[in-house]
Amino acid sequence: MNIVIVGDGKVGYTLADCLSKDGHDVTIVDNNKKALAKASETLDVLCVPGSGANVRTLLEAGVETADVVIAATTGDETNMVCAMMAKQLGAKYAIARVRDPDYTEGLTLLLNKLDIDQVINPERAAALEISRLLRFPFATDIESFAHGRVEMVGFRADAGDPVVGVPLSKLRGKIPSVQFSAVQRGNEALIPGGDFEIQSGDHVYATGDRDSVTRFFKLLGKDTNRVRSAMLIGGGHVTYYLARAIAGMGVKLKIVEINEDRCRSLSEKLEDVEVIQGDGTDSELLESENVRDQDALICLTDRDEENLIVGLYGLRAGVRKVIVKVNHLNTMDVLGDMGLGSVISPKQAAANGILRSVRALSQSKSAVIEKVYAILGGKVEASEFTALPGAGFLNVPLRDLNIKKGVLVTLIVRGRQCIIPFGGDHIESGDSVILTALEGTVANLEDAFDAAGAGK
Amino acid sequence: MNARLVVRLIGSVLAVEGLLMFLPLIVSLYYGGADYPAILISIAIVLAAGLLLGCVRAKSELLRPREGLAVVAASWVLVSAFGALPFVIHGSIPSFVDAFFETVSGFTTTGSTVLQDVEAVPRGLLFWRSFTHWAGGMGVLVLSLALIPKMGARSIHLMRAESPGPSPDRLVPRVAKTAKILYKIYLGMSALLVVALMLCGLDWFDALTHMFSTAGTGGFSTYNQSVGHFQNLAVEMVLGVSMVAFGVNFSIYYLLILGHFRGFFKNSELRTFVSIVAAATVLIALNILPGYGNFFTALRYSFFQVTTLISTTGFATADFAVWPVFSRAVIVFLMFVGSCAGSTAGGIKVVRAQLLWKNLRRDIHQSIHPNAVRVIKLDGKPVDEKIMSGVTGFFYAYMLITMLATIVVSLDGHSLETSFSAVLTTISNVGPGLGQVGPKGNFSIFSDLSKITLSMCMLLGRLEIFPILMLFTPSAWRK
Repeated sequence: MNIVIVGDGKVGYTLADCLSKDGHDVTIVDNNKKALAKASETLDVLCVPGSGANVRTLLEAGVETADVVIAATTGDETNMVCAMMAKQLGAKYAIARVRDPDYTEGLTLLLNKLDIDQVINPERAAALEISRLLRFPFATDIESFAHGRVEMVGFRADAGDPVVGVPLSKLRGKIPSVQFSAVQRGNEALIPGGDFEIQSGDHVYATGDRDSVTRFFKLLGKDTNRVRSAMLIGGGHVTYYLARAIAGMGVKLKIVEINEDRCRSLSEKLEDVEVIQGDGTDSELLESENVRDQDALICLTDRDEENLIVGLYGLRAGVRKVIVKVNHLNTMDVLGDMGLGSVISPKQAAANGILRSVRALSQSKSAVIEKVYAILGGKVEASEFTALPGAGFLNVPLRDLNIKKGVLVTLIVRGRQCIIPFGGDHIESGDSVILTALEGTVANLEDAFDAAGAGK
Repeated sequence: MNARLVVRLIGSVLAVEGLLMFLPLIVSLYYGGADYPAILISIAIVLAAGLLLGCVRAKSELLRPREGLAVVAASWVLVSAFGALPFVIHGSIPSFVDAFFETVSGFTTTGSTVLQDVEAVPRGLLFWRSFTHWAGGMGVLVLSLALIPKMGARSIHLMRAESPGPSPDRLVPRVAKTAKILYKIYLGMSALLVVALMLCGLDWFDALTHMFSTAGTGGFSTYNQSVGHFQNLAVEMVLGVSMVAFGVNFSIYYLLILGHFRGFFKNSELRTFVSIVAAATVLIALNILPGYGNFFTALRYSFFQVTTLISTTGFATADFAVWPVFSRAVIVFLMFVGSCAGSTAGGIKVVRAQLLWKNLRRDIHQSIHPNAVRVIKLDGKPVDEKIMSGVTGFFYAYMLITMLATIVVSLDGHSLETSFSAVLTTISNVGPGLGQVGPKGNFSIFSDLSKITLSMCMLLGRLEIFPILMLFTPSAWRK
């Protein structure tokens, strides 16, 4: 597909990288020549300098023949104007990044009037991700599939866990039915096979239906109690969306924000939260607000350094769950080594969201893409497909399908049933299939199988 | 410097060259020439070298601008050295320095020759000699980019290092696709030209070899009298128009294919280029009128010589070395300017001349209004100051190298006109010069030192100086 990305910031660049590797023809538009030069040198994309709200620039970038236009500049208004204009010029699908809560509320109205197909809100996406993490405090990362029935949960394996040091094939039957779908060891991302052994310190992803996942973690002796109270440092957009998202979950929220006007406005807009005006990096304040008694500490200020410091302070104070937001740093591994396992990047979340919808647009005859998540810093992708009737790989036992290296058919969801597939299992039309694969190997379900098998 | 990656990429370029050598082999076998063993041995050597180097495993695939420049510079030197093998092995050019000069002249689309009797060379080798123009015209690296799949995003550095012009870039999002589009345009235009030449009455060997020379704007002919051998007005007209056509930036032909006719005809570089051709043709025709007596004849010779020189091809239908001084002065100017960026031609390129001119005007303006802010624009688009300083730097380097090389070549003791024009014609990739190296002369008069200097000039001119200069910069090689 022809894809035009307006805005070469973190989101734009990440998207361009992923989409170009998926085989799409990508053009980037931005005002900033330095950012463009970097993209031009490191990515196989065409760069057009200019403003995304300028018709001539958009025409030069070829929006009139574009299949997807993604407006991801820093300005909400620019993005809306750009997406609108792109649709007017003939683009087939337009996605705009809109972050301001004021716009979000009237968005459905705006969307129809402005003829924008989809709106992505990084802060809201990040807030939703955090709210999922609060349900499983031990998890570093949670993604959901099959309308929430299946969950993929990332956790750190510790010495003494019953799964450590045993070949995976011997684990089957002894533990609830979950599939180990991806492992990060050191800097390396691995897709485990039957003879794989988990070591302590590995970052492991386990996938299964919600029940099995909960039972599995109970068995591991992990803390599956829900979070009852949380302290939020920083009162920006993410904080607002998060407070809205978990309003009904029975979590007591305490928000610490330094700016008095912001505190006032949060207090006006939100019910049942305690807003405290003060410096969230001040340990006196944190102590006097009983940070030690909180179930969770979530650092959401605009400054990465502050988030990290406060997060580390929380860890030392013994808070059960610490989540930090990171805008710029791209060093998730380093943070993991420091004990900060749960790192949320709004921009990565937004990029994930857009990637998902673009992939879903690339129609294939054999399967529909439902979801795509980039995990382990983008090295592994977990995706969900719905198999369509007539595809070559239907009703063929998996062992005959020549599954590519680096690809794992993680789960097959058939009706109410969740199947952890073995060689004898097969895919039926209408099944939801969850795949885990190394980055860049699979864009659609049929890619998972070598042509010889899929062609049968 | 990621030397292993550089070596591996050079290997793949050599392998491509080895494959290309099968074409002259077929021609040689078809004519039953005595040159096929030489070609066959050369193929074996080149392929072996290419595959051997291509086997080197790089630790990382990181291709930075410096690796791009190194690959381009080194491959051009090696491709020329290996391309010289058939001539040396067969014995038609026994000295390796001479054969190297001839092949560099081929790949860089210069067309300067050391051969005193071209017609004595067997047809397979003649075919290879002309074919090097065609392969070098669009770039051996760009060809490799089009042929080798999955060179990745960073191969843009290879394309930038090889393609002429101040800021070559992609036409479409993918580098490999861009390379393919360029080669498709090139192939299409070449095919048209062959058909036109055959309609004019040339046999297919002459049509093909002259197409190669014209498309690459090289200038090797298979006859001692060059294109003058045919004494055919139609051939001259077809070649004249084609040389101008191949001197135009290929990316604006892509605009034409896309249907953006306005963008094509409004292109200021194209307009300037065509204006220079027209003005020079008329001026020279008027100047040489007394020698030919008839305005139409004068125009005919003037047009062909102007197109062949500004497009830096270097065919000849008349001995312009004996034309009046005014005409020769205009010819020196044409050799300097050359054609458009992004074409197969040499010279400093029309667009650079335009930018230098605009820069000069801005400097004058600013000395009158010291606080004036003026952005230089081309086709309505602002030109980055970095590109501007690149252009002035390039121009200075071009002049400096021309001067220094002239000093080295003058050691041979030929006249200043001969020495200077020999350097200018090689660095601008034209072919013939003035004086003793005019259309009737050849470069065998020079010593080996001069031939190597001139070979370097051709490479410097074709690769637009910086890749070659970088090879000799120590900091590029340090870890």
